[in-house]
Amino acid sequence: MKITVQRSGGVAGMQRTWTVRPEPPEDTDRWQPLIEACPWDSVPGAGGSPGQPDRFMYSIRADQRRAVLPERDLTGPWRDLVECARAAAEQAAAQDPD
Amino acid sequence: MFFPHRFFPDRFFPHCSIVPPYLLRRLAAQDELSGAAEAARNALLHVPAFHAARAELSLLAPPGVRGATPAPPERTIYDARSLEKLPGSPVRKEGKPPTGDPATDEAYDGLGHTHRLYADAFGRDSIDGRGLPLEASVHYSKRYDNAFWDGRQMVFGDGDGEVFGRFTKSLSVIGHELAHGVTQYSGGLNYRNQAGALNESLSDVFGALVEQYAKQQSTAEASWLIGEGLFTDQVQGTALRSMKAPGTAYDDDVLGKDPQPDSMDSYVRTSADNGGVHINSGIPNRAFCLVATALGGNAWEAPAQIWYQTLTGGTLSPNTTFGAFARATAASAKELFGAGSAAHDAVRSAWETVKVKV
Repeated sequence: MKITVQRSGGVAGMQRTWTVRPEPPEDTDRWQPLIEACPWDSVPGAGGSPGQPDRFMYSIRADQRRAVLPERDLTGPWRDLVECARAAAEQAAAQDPD
Repeated sequence: MFFPHRFFPDRFFPHCSIVPPYLLRRLAAQDELSGAAEAARNALLHVPAFHAARAELSLLAPPGVRGATPAPPERTIYDARSLEKLPGSPVRKEGKPPTGDPATDEAYDGLGHTHRLYADAFGRDSIDGRGLPLEASVHYSKRYDNAFWDGRQMVFGDGDGEVFGRFTKSLSVIGHELAHGVTQYSGGLNYRNQAGALNESLSDVFGALVEQYAKQQSTAEASWLIGEGLFTDQVQGTALRSMKAPGTAYDDDVLGKDPQPDSMDSYVRTSADNGGVHINSGIPNRAFCLVATALGGNAWEAPAQIWYQTLTGGTLSPNTTFGAFARATAASAKELFGAGSAAHDAVRSAWETVKVKV
Protein backbone atom coordinates (compact mmCIF):
# COMPACT_ATOMS: atom_id res chain seq x y z
CA MET A 1 0.00 0.00 0.00
CA LYS A 2 1.18 3.50 -0.85
CA ILE A 3 -0.43 6.84 -0.01
CA THR A 4 0.92 10.03 -1.51
CA VAL A 5 -0.23 13.58 -0.82
CA GLN A 6 1.14 16.30 -3.06
CA ARG A 7 0.39 19.88 -2.01
CA SER A 8 1.06 22.60 -4.58
CA GLY A 9 0.29 26.31 -4.80
CA GLY A 10 -0.06 28.66 -1.88
CA VAL A 11 1.46 32.11 -2.21
CA ALA A 12 4.87 30.45 -1.91
CA GLY A 13 4.15 28.09 -4.81
CA MET A 14 6.27 25.39 -3.17
CA GLN A 15 5.40 21.80 -3.85
CA ARG A 16 5.47 19.46 -0.84
CA THR A 17 4.99 15.72 -1.10
CA TRP A 18 4.26 13.34 1.76
CA THR A 19 4.39 9.58 1.15
CA VAL A 20 3.42 6.73 3.47
CA ARG A 21 3.98 3.02 2.81
CA PRO A 22 2.00 1.15 5.44
CA GLU A 23 3.19 -2.41 6.06
CA PRO A 24 0.59 -5.17 5.92
CA PRO A 25 -1.29 -6.37 7.77
CA GLU A 26 -1.43 -4.19 10.93
CA ASP A 27 -0.66 -0.82 9.31
CA THR A 28 -2.82 -1.37 6.23
CA ASP A 29 -5.73 -2.32 8.46
CA ARG A 30 -5.33 0.99 10.20
CA TRP A 31 -5.18 3.05 6.96
CA GLN A 32 -7.90 1.20 5.02
CA PRO A 33 -10.87 2.81 6.86
CA LEU A 34 -9.35 6.30 6.40
CA ILE A 35 -9.06 5.67 2.65
CA GLU A 36 -12.49 4.05 2.32
CA ALA A 37 -14.16 6.97 4.11
CA CYS A 38 -13.24 9.34 1.24
CA PRO A 39 -15.74 9.81 -1.62
CA TRP A 40 -13.21 9.05 -4.39
CA ASP A 41 -15.86 8.66 -7.07
CA SER A 42 -17.52 12.02 -6.51
CA VAL A 43 -14.60 14.39 -6.96
CA PRO A 44 -13.04 15.43 -10.26
CA GLY A 45 -9.59 14.04 -11.03
CA ALA A 46 -6.80 16.15 -12.48
CA GLY A 47 -8.16 19.10 -14.45
CA GLY A 48 -11.05 19.86 -12.12
CA SER A 49 -12.13 23.39 -11.35
CA PRO A 50 -9.22 25.76 -10.60
CA GLY A 51 -8.73 26.89 -7.04
CA GLN A 52 -8.85 30.38 -5.57
CA PRO A 53 -5.72 32.51 -5.94
CA ASP A 54 -2.88 31.43 -3.66
CA ARG A 55 -4.76 28.62 -1.99
CA PHE A 56 -3.30 25.14 -1.86
CA MET A 57 -4.16 22.39 -4.34
CA TYR A 58 -4.02 18.77 -3.16
CA SER A 59 -3.38 15.74 -5.32
CA ILE A 60 -4.09 12.61 -3.27
CA ARG A 61 -3.26 9.05 -4.29
CA ALA A 62 -3.96 5.80 -2.49
CA ASP A 63 -2.72 2.94 -4.64
CA GLN A 64 -4.81 3.17 -7.83
CA ARG A 65 -7.20 5.84 -6.62
CA ARG A 66 -6.63 9.52 -7.16
CA ALA A 67 -8.36 12.80 -6.35
CA VAL A 68 -7.43 16.44 -6.95
CA LEU A 69 -8.98 18.87 -4.49
CA PRO A 70 -8.71 22.61 -3.97
CA GLU A 71 -8.00 23.56 -0.36
CA ARG A 72 -11.56 24.69 0.34
CA ASP A 73 -12.85 21.19 -0.50
CA LEU A 74 -10.36 19.47 1.78
CA THR A 75 -12.86 18.71 4.52
CA GLY A 76 -14.14 15.72 6.51
CA PRO A 77 -12.53 12.39 5.58
CA TRP A 78 -10.22 14.01 2.99
CA ARG A 79 -8.74 16.26 5.61
CA ASP A 80 -8.36 13.36 8.04
CA LEU A 81 -6.52 11.31 5.42
CA VAL A 82 -4.23 14.17 4.40
CA GLU A 83 -3.36 15.13 7.97
CA CYS A 84 -2.65 11.53 8.94
CA ALA A 85 -0.49 10.99 5.84
CA ARG A 86 1.47 14.17 6.46
CA ALA A 87 2.02 13.38 10.14
CA ALA A 88 3.10 9.80 9.38
CA ALA A 89 5.45 10.89 6.58
CA GLU A 90 7.04 13.59 8.74
CA GLN A 91 7.44 11.17 11.62
CA ALA A 92 9.12 8.63 9.33
CA ALA A 93 11.40 11.34 7.92
CA ALA A 94 12.37 12.44 11.44
CA GLN A 95 13.31 8.86 12.36
CA ASP A 96 15.25 8.30 9.16
CA PRO A 97 16.62 11.60 7.83
CA ASP A 98 17.91 9.96 4.66
CA MET B 1 5.67 61.22 -3.89
CA PHE B 2 4.40 60.47 -7.38
CA PHE B 3 1.35 62.27 -8.75
CA PRO B 4 0.39 60.95 -12.16
CA HIS B 5 -1.29 64.18 -13.28
CA ARG B 6 2.10 65.90 -13.12
CA PHE B 7 3.59 63.37 -15.47
CA PHE B 8 0.83 62.81 -17.93
CA PRO B 9 -1.37 65.12 -19.92
CA ASP B 10 -4.94 65.57 -18.77
CA ARG B 11 -6.30 63.28 -21.41
CA PHE B 12 -5.01 60.32 -19.47
CA PHE B 13 -6.63 61.39 -16.23
CA PRO B 14 -9.56 63.37 -17.56
CA HIS B 15 -11.42 64.21 -14.38
CA CYS B 16 -11.43 61.44 -11.88
CA SER B 17 -9.34 58.38 -11.58
CA ILE B 18 -11.89 55.81 -10.43
CA VAL B 19 -12.40 54.52 -13.95
CA PRO B 20 -9.53 53.67 -16.30
CA PRO B 21 -9.08 56.69 -18.52
CA TYR B 22 -8.80 54.50 -21.60
CA LEU B 23 -12.27 53.11 -20.90
CA LEU B 24 -13.71 56.54 -20.18
CA ARG B 25 -12.40 57.84 -23.48
CA ARG B 26 -13.97 55.00 -25.37
CA LEU B 27 -17.23 55.41 -23.53
CA ALA B 28 -17.25 59.14 -24.03
CA ALA B 29 -16.77 58.70 -27.77
CA GLN B 30 -20.08 56.90 -27.97
CA ASP B 31 -23.28 58.89 -27.40
CA GLU B 32 -25.25 55.83 -26.57
CA LEU B 33 -23.98 52.31 -26.34
CA SER B 34 -25.75 49.91 -28.61
CA GLY B 35 -27.21 46.80 -27.00
CA ALA B 36 -24.51 44.62 -28.54
CA ALA B 37 -21.67 46.89 -27.44
CA GLU B 38 -23.11 47.01 -23.98
CA ALA B 39 -23.38 43.23 -23.80
CA ALA B 40 -19.81 42.86 -25.02
CA ARG B 41 -18.57 45.31 -22.46
CA ASN B 42 -20.51 43.65 -19.68
CA ALA B 43 -18.84 40.41 -20.63
CA LEU B 44 -15.41 42.03 -20.66
CA LEU B 45 -15.59 44.08 -17.53
CA HIS B 46 -16.63 43.61 -14.01
CA VAL B 47 -20.18 44.88 -13.91
CA PRO B 48 -19.77 47.35 -11.03
CA ALA B 49 -16.81 48.94 -12.81
CA PHE B 50 -19.00 49.37 -15.86
CA HIS B 51 -21.75 51.02 -13.87
CA ALA B 52 -19.16 53.21 -12.19
CA ALA B 53 -17.99 54.30 -15.62
CA ARG B 54 -21.50 55.23 -16.68
CA ALA B 55 -22.08 57.03 -13.40
CA GLU B 56 -18.83 58.94 -13.86
CA LEU B 57 -19.90 60.09 -17.30
CA SER B 58 -23.08 61.53 -15.91
CA LEU B 59 -21.07 63.36 -13.26
CA LEU B 60 -18.76 65.22 -15.60
CA ALA B 61 -20.32 68.57 -14.79
CA PRO B 62 -20.14 69.09 -11.01
CA PRO B 63 -16.77 70.68 -10.28
CA GLY B 64 -16.66 69.06 -6.86
CA VAL B 65 -16.40 65.65 -8.46
CA ARG B 66 -13.72 66.58 -10.94
CA GLY B 67 -10.23 65.86 -9.74
CA ALA B 68 -11.62 63.97 -6.78
CA THR B 69 -8.85 62.21 -4.88
CA PRO B 70 -9.14 58.70 -3.47
CA ALA B 71 -10.55 58.57 0.04
CA PRO B 72 -8.33 57.48 2.96
CA PRO B 73 -8.26 53.75 3.67
CA GLU B 74 -10.86 52.12 5.87
CA ARG B 75 -9.07 49.18 7.49
CA THR B 76 -10.20 46.52 9.92
CA ILE B 77 -7.93 43.76 11.18
CA TYR B 78 -9.51 40.64 12.66
CA ASP B 79 -8.01 37.90 14.80
CA ALA B 80 -9.08 34.42 13.63
CA ARG B 81 -7.66 32.99 16.89
CA SER B 82 -6.15 29.92 15.18
CA LEU B 83 -9.54 28.88 13.79
CA GLU B 84 -10.60 28.69 10.14
CA LYS B 85 -13.74 30.74 10.58
CA LEU B 86 -13.54 34.14 8.86
CA PRO B 87 -13.22 36.93 9.63
CA GLY B 88 -12.85 36.38 13.42
CA SER B 89 -13.00 39.17 16.00
CA PRO B 90 -12.06 42.77 15.15
CA VAL B 91 -8.85 43.79 16.93
CA ARG B 92 -7.81 47.01 15.19
CA LYS B 93 -9.99 49.47 13.31
CA GLU B 94 -9.04 52.47 11.19
CA GLY B 95 -7.25 55.19 13.11
CA LYS B 96 -6.72 53.12 16.25
CA PRO B 97 -3.26 52.83 17.82
CA PRO B 98 -1.01 49.77 17.45
CA THR B 99 -2.12 46.74 19.43
CA GLY B 100 1.35 45.34 20.16
CA ASP B 101 0.57 42.13 18.26
CA PRO B 102 3.08 42.12 15.35
CA ALA B 103 0.78 40.28 12.91
CA THR B 104 -2.11 42.68 13.54
CA ASP B 105 0.04 45.79 13.26
CA GLU B 106 1.98 44.59 10.21
CA ALA B 107 -1.29 43.75 8.43
CA TYR B 108 -2.72 47.18 9.32
CA ASP B 109 0.38 49.01 8.07
CA GLY B 110 0.67 46.81 4.98
CA LEU B 111 -2.92 47.52 3.94
CA GLY B 112 -2.17 51.22 4.37
CA HIS B 113 0.96 51.06 2.20
CA THR B 114 -0.95 49.14 -0.48
CA HIS B 115 -3.83 51.62 -0.46
CA ARG B 116 -1.31 54.48 -0.74
CA LEU B 117 0.46 53.07 -3.80
CA TYR B 118 -2.84 52.72 -5.71
CA ALA B 119 -3.99 56.18 -4.65
CA ASP B 120 -0.72 58.03 -5.34
CA ALA B 121 0.57 56.24 -8.44
CA PHE B 122 -2.71 55.43 -10.18
CA GLY B 123 -5.34 57.63 -8.55
CA ARG B 124 -7.23 54.44 -7.69
CA ASP B 125 -9.56 54.47 -4.70
CA SER B 126 -8.84 51.16 -2.96
CA ILE B 127 -8.93 47.67 -4.43
CA ASP B 128 -12.18 48.03 -6.35
CA GLY B 129 -11.56 51.66 -7.35
CA ARG B 130 -14.62 52.62 -5.32
CA GLY B 131 -13.27 52.85 -1.80
CA LEU B 132 -13.70 49.23 -0.75
CA PRO B 133 -13.03 48.88 3.00
CA LEU B 134 -9.91 46.75 3.50
CA GLU B 135 -10.25 43.77 5.77
CA ALA B 136 -7.67 41.24 6.88
CA SER B 137 -7.67 38.31 9.27
CA VAL B 138 -4.47 37.29 11.05
CA HIS B 139 -3.64 34.13 13.05
CA TYR B 140 -5.68 32.00 10.61
CA SER B 141 -5.68 28.27 11.38
CA LYS B 142 -2.77 26.52 13.09
CA ARG B 143 0.79 26.42 11.74
CA TYR B 144 -0.69 27.69 8.46
CA ASP B 145 1.98 28.24 5.79
CA ASN B 146 0.08 30.63 3.60
CA ALA B 147 -1.64 33.94 2.93
CA PHE B 148 -4.49 34.48 0.47
CA TRP B 149 -7.22 36.79 -0.82
CA ASP B 150 -10.56 34.98 -0.56
CA GLY B 151 -12.40 37.26 -2.98
CA ARG B 152 -13.44 39.65 -0.21
CA GLN B 153 -10.64 39.93 2.32
CA MET B 154 -7.03 39.03 3.10
CA VAL B 155 -6.08 36.06 5.25
CA PHE B 156 -2.69 35.47 6.92
CA GLY B 157 -1.27 32.37 8.56
CA ASP B 158 1.38 32.37 11.28
CA GLY B 159 3.57 29.80 9.49
CA ASP B 160 4.71 26.49 10.92
CA GLY B 161 7.76 28.01 12.62
CA GLU B 162 10.03 25.55 10.81
CA VAL B 163 9.93 26.68 7.19
CA PHE B 164 7.88 29.85 7.50
CA GLY B 165 7.30 32.52 10.07
CA ARG B 166 4.21 34.76 10.02
CA PHE B 167 3.15 35.90 6.53
CA THR B 168 2.49 39.54 7.50
CA LYS B 169 6.26 40.05 7.75
CA SER B 170 6.59 40.68 4.03
CA LEU B 171 5.06 43.84 2.57
CA SER B 172 5.42 42.47 -0.98
CA VAL B 173 3.25 39.49 0.04
CA ILE B 174 0.56 41.79 1.48
CA GLY B 175 0.66 43.80 -1.76
CA HIS B 176 0.58 40.54 -3.75
CA GLU B 177 -2.63 39.37 -2.07
CA LEU B 178 -4.47 42.67 -2.49
CA ALA B 179 -3.43 42.78 -6.15
CA HIS B 180 -5.44 39.58 -6.65
CA GLY B 181 -8.39 41.73 -5.61
CA VAL B 182 -7.47 44.44 -8.13
CA THR B 183 -7.20 41.82 -10.89
CA GLN B 184 -10.56 40.40 -9.85
CA TYR B 185 -12.22 43.84 -10.04
CA SER B 186 -10.52 44.55 -13.38
CA GLY B 187 -12.31 41.69 -15.10
CA GLY B 188 -10.22 38.79 -13.85
CA LEU B 189 -7.79 36.32 -15.36
CA ASN B 190 -8.60 32.63 -15.09
CA TYR B 191 -6.44 31.02 -12.45
CA ARG B 192 -4.94 28.35 -14.67
CA ASN B 193 -2.05 27.95 -17.13
CA GLN B 194 -0.75 31.14 -18.80
CA ALA B 195 -3.66 33.37 -17.73
CA GLY B 196 -3.16 32.11 -14.18
CA ALA B 197 0.58 32.77 -14.36
CA LEU B 198 -0.20 36.31 -15.55
CA ASN B 199 -2.63 36.69 -12.64
CA GLU B 200 0.21 35.62 -10.33
CA SER B 201 2.77 37.83 -12.05
CA LEU B 202 0.54 40.92 -11.78
CA SER B 203 0.29 40.23 -8.05
CA ASP B 204 4.08 39.99 -7.80
CA VAL B 205 4.54 43.16 -9.85
CA PHE B 206 2.14 45.26 -7.77
CA GLY B 207 3.34 43.59 -4.55
CA ALA B 208 6.92 44.61 -5.37
CA LEU B 209 5.73 48.11 -6.27
CA VAL B 210 3.97 48.49 -2.90
CA GLU B 211 7.21 47.62 -1.13
CA GLN B 212 9.41 49.80 -3.36
CA TYR B 213 7.07 52.79 -3.01
CA ALA B 214 6.86 52.42 0.78
CA LYS B 215 10.65 52.24 1.04
CA GLN B 216 11.11 54.88 -1.70
CA GLN B 217 13.53 52.55 -3.48
CA SER B 218 14.47 53.12 -7.09
CA THR B 219 14.62 50.23 -9.54
CA ALA B 220 18.37 50.03 -9.01
CA GLU B 221 18.04 49.98 -5.21
CA ALA B 222 15.17 47.48 -4.99
CA SER B 223 15.70 43.78 -4.22
CA TRP B 224 12.98 42.64 -6.65
CA LEU B 225 12.34 39.78 -4.21
CA ILE B 226 8.86 38.59 -3.28
CA GLY B 227 8.42 37.44 0.30
CA GLU B 228 11.83 38.39 1.63
CA GLY B 229 12.12 37.52 5.33
CA LEU B 230 9.35 34.91 5.43
CA PHE B 231 11.66 31.92 5.78
CA THR B 232 12.99 30.89 9.16
CA ASP B 233 16.78 30.79 9.46
CA GLN B 234 16.63 27.01 9.00
CA VAL B 235 15.91 27.48 5.28
CA GLN B 236 18.57 28.05 2.64
CA GLY B 237 16.97 30.91 0.76
CA THR B 238 16.24 34.62 0.78
CA ALA B 239 12.67 34.84 -0.55
CA LEU B 240 9.84 33.03 -2.34
CA ARG B 241 10.69 34.43 -5.76
CA SER B 242 13.13 36.73 -7.51
CA MET B 243 11.68 38.90 -10.27
CA LYS B 244 15.12 39.95 -11.41
CA ALA B 245 16.61 36.43 -11.54
CA PRO B 246 13.77 33.88 -11.49
CA GLY B 247 14.91 30.49 -10.18
CA THR B 248 17.46 31.85 -7.68
CA ALA B 249 15.35 32.71 -4.60
CA TYR B 250 16.07 29.51 -2.67
CA ASP B 251 17.93 26.22 -2.88
CA ASP B 252 17.23 24.08 0.16
CA ASP B 253 17.77 20.44 1.14
CA VAL B 254 14.14 19.93 2.13
CA LEU B 255 12.31 22.42 -0.10
CA GLY B 256 14.38 21.88 -3.21
CA LYS B 257 15.38 24.60 -5.63
CA ASP B 258 13.32 27.58 -6.77
CA PRO B 259 11.63 26.13 -9.91
CA GLN B 260 10.89 29.40 -11.75
CA PRO B 261 11.97 29.67 -15.40
CA ASP B 262 13.42 32.98 -16.64
CA SER B 263 12.31 32.63 -20.27
CA MET B 264 9.98 30.64 -22.51
CA ASP B 265 12.89 28.29 -23.26
CA SER B 266 12.36 26.70 -19.85
CA TYR B 267 8.56 27.12 -19.54
CA VAL B 268 7.24 24.42 -17.18
CA ARG B 269 4.31 22.23 -18.18
CA THR B 270 2.68 20.70 -15.12
CA SER B 271 -0.77 19.85 -13.80
CA ALA B 272 0.19 20.87 -10.25
CA ASP B 273 -0.47 24.40 -8.95
CA ASN B 274 -3.28 24.97 -11.49
CA GLY B 275 -0.83 24.50 -14.33
CA GLY B 276 2.21 26.03 -12.68
CA VAL B 277 0.80 29.49 -12.04
CA HIS B 278 3.43 30.27 -9.35
CA ILE B 279 6.19 28.80 -11.51
CA ASN B 280 5.78 30.30 -14.98
CA SER B 281 4.95 33.72 -13.49
CA GLY B 282 8.75 34.14 -13.40
CA ILE B 283 8.71 34.86 -17.15
CA PRO B 284 6.39 37.93 -17.12
CA ASN B 285 7.90 38.98 -13.77
CA ARG B 286 11.32 39.23 -15.36
CA ALA B 287 9.85 41.12 -18.33
CA PHE B 288 8.52 43.81 -15.98
CA CYS B 289 11.83 44.03 -14.14
CA LEU B 290 13.67 44.38 -17.47
CA VAL B 291 11.39 47.25 -18.52
CA ALA B 292 12.01 49.01 -15.19
CA THR B 293 15.75 48.44 -15.47
CA ALA B 294 15.88 49.78 -19.03
CA LEU B 295 13.97 52.92 -18.08
CA GLY B 296 15.73 53.52 -14.75
CA GLY B 297 14.29 55.73 -12.03
CA ASN B 298 11.32 54.48 -10.02
CA ALA B 299 9.34 51.46 -11.14
CA TRP B 300 6.06 52.94 -9.86
CA GLU B 301 6.32 55.63 -12.55
CA ALA B 302 6.38 54.74 -16.28
CA PRO B 303 6.78 50.92 -15.97
CA ALA B 304 3.91 50.65 -13.47
CA GLN B 305 1.69 52.96 -15.54
CA ILE B 306 2.12 50.66 -18.55
CA TRP B 307 1.28 47.51 -16.58
CA TYR B 308 -1.61 49.18 -14.74
CA GLN B 309 -3.10 50.47 -18.00
CA THR B 310 -2.81 46.94 -19.42
CA LEU B 311 -4.52 45.39 -16.40
CA THR B 312 -7.34 47.91 -16.14
CA GLY B 313 -7.79 48.88 -19.79
CA GLY B 314 -10.46 46.28 -20.47
CA THR B 315 -8.59 44.52 -23.29
CA LEU B 316 -7.47 41.37 -21.44
CA SER B 317 -9.65 38.31 -21.95
CA PRO B 318 -9.98 35.83 -19.05
CA ASN B 319 -7.75 33.37 -20.92
CA THR B 320 -5.06 35.83 -21.97
CA THR B 321 -1.81 34.17 -23.07
CA PHE B 322 1.69 35.52 -22.47
CA GLY B 323 1.84 36.62 -26.12
CA ALA B 324 -1.46 38.51 -25.95
CA PHE B 325 -0.40 40.13 -22.68
CA ALA B 326 2.94 41.16 -24.17
CA ARG B 327 1.17 42.77 -27.12
CA ALA B 328 -1.22 44.54 -24.74
CA THR B 329 1.68 46.02 -22.74
CA ALA B 330 3.31 47.21 -25.98
CA ALA B 331 0.01 48.81 -27.00
CA SER B 332 -0.27 50.50 -23.58
CA ALA B 333 3.30 51.82 -23.81
CA LYS B 334 2.59 53.16 -27.29
CA GLU B 335 -0.62 54.79 -26.15
CA LEU B 336 0.90 56.38 -23.05
CA PHE B 337 4.32 57.37 -24.37
CA GLY B 338 4.15 57.16 -28.17
CA ALA B 339 5.37 54.73 -30.81
CA GLY B 340 9.12 54.32 -30.77
CA SER B 341 9.42 56.01 -27.35
CA ALA B 342 11.99 54.67 -24.89
CA ALA B 343 9.15 53.02 -22.95
CA HIS B 344 7.70 51.37 -26.06
CA ASP B 345 11.13 50.08 -27.07
CA ALA B 346 11.88 48.86 -23.54
CA VAL B 347 8.66 46.83 -23.44
CA ARG B 348 9.27 45.15 -26.80
CA SER B 349 12.87 44.42 -25.94
CA ALA B 350 11.97 42.94 -22.52
CA TRP B 351 9.55 40.44 -24.02
CA GLU B 352 12.11 39.53 -26.66
CA THR B 353 14.65 38.78 -23.91
CA VAL B 354 12.25 36.35 -22.16
CA LYS B 355 11.40 34.82 -25.56
CA VAL B 356 7.75 35.87 -25.69
CA LYS B 357 6.74 36.97 -29.17
CA VAL B 358 5.11 40.43 -29.19
